[in-house]
Amino acid sequence: MLVATVIGNVWATHKDPSLEGLRFLVVQPMDALGKGTAETIVAADPMGAGIGERVLVVFGRAARHVIGKGHDIGFQTAVCAIIDRMELSGSSYGPHEDQDGNS
Amino acid sequence: MFVGRVIGQVWATHKVADLEGKRLLVIDPLPAAHGSPDPSAPMVKPVVAADPLGARVGQRVLVAFGKAARVASWGGDGDYALEAAIVGLVDELEVPGAPSSWQDGEDEAC
Repeated sequence: MLVATVIGNVWATHKDPSLEGLRFLVVQPMDALGKGTAETIVAADPMGAGIGERVLVVFGRAARHVIGKGHDIGFQTAVCAIIDRMELSGSSYGPHEDQDGNS
Repeated sequence: MFVGRVIGQVWATHKVADLEGKRLLVIDPLPAAHGSPDPSAPMVKPVVAADPLGARVGQRVLVAFGKAARVASWGGDGDYALEAAIVGLVDELEVPGAPSSWQDGEDEAC
């Protein structure tokens, strides 16, 4: 499970039928100091997160469970929570990266 | 499974129901023990894990993934929205040549 910030949306019309109806976000994992890493991940989002929000991302069986369409699905990453507050290395972070005093 | 240091905690109101009541800690994996790691090695990112053991910020912990994590968090395997959990609190760690960040000391991470 990772903390990541939502940085965008991705749409695909031509996709595996098991992915119909899912919303996909581009998220950026966070490093130990609360900054974005160079990596991006695409995660299915049943929670309705928006750009700039911090989320928890799960993988594998946990992600397929969160997506809620059974285990035979062509995806293995999902948003399972929208973060209200985070304390990290002595700093406090709110739900949205634009509202932080310290990041 | 890896050894890391607890560097923080997250709280979320809007979450999948089976995360209700779970304490979620952020754990930074301890860096490579011997010199600088291979520059092409993947970057180490902090991991969020359930904490059934009551770890404190700054403490070194063992983190397990997958079925092991679900068993540690719920007492059995099943469909849960979580794949990482703290399964041990480190008392002692002996790795010759390890960087100082591996040493005990709860203030170092903060």
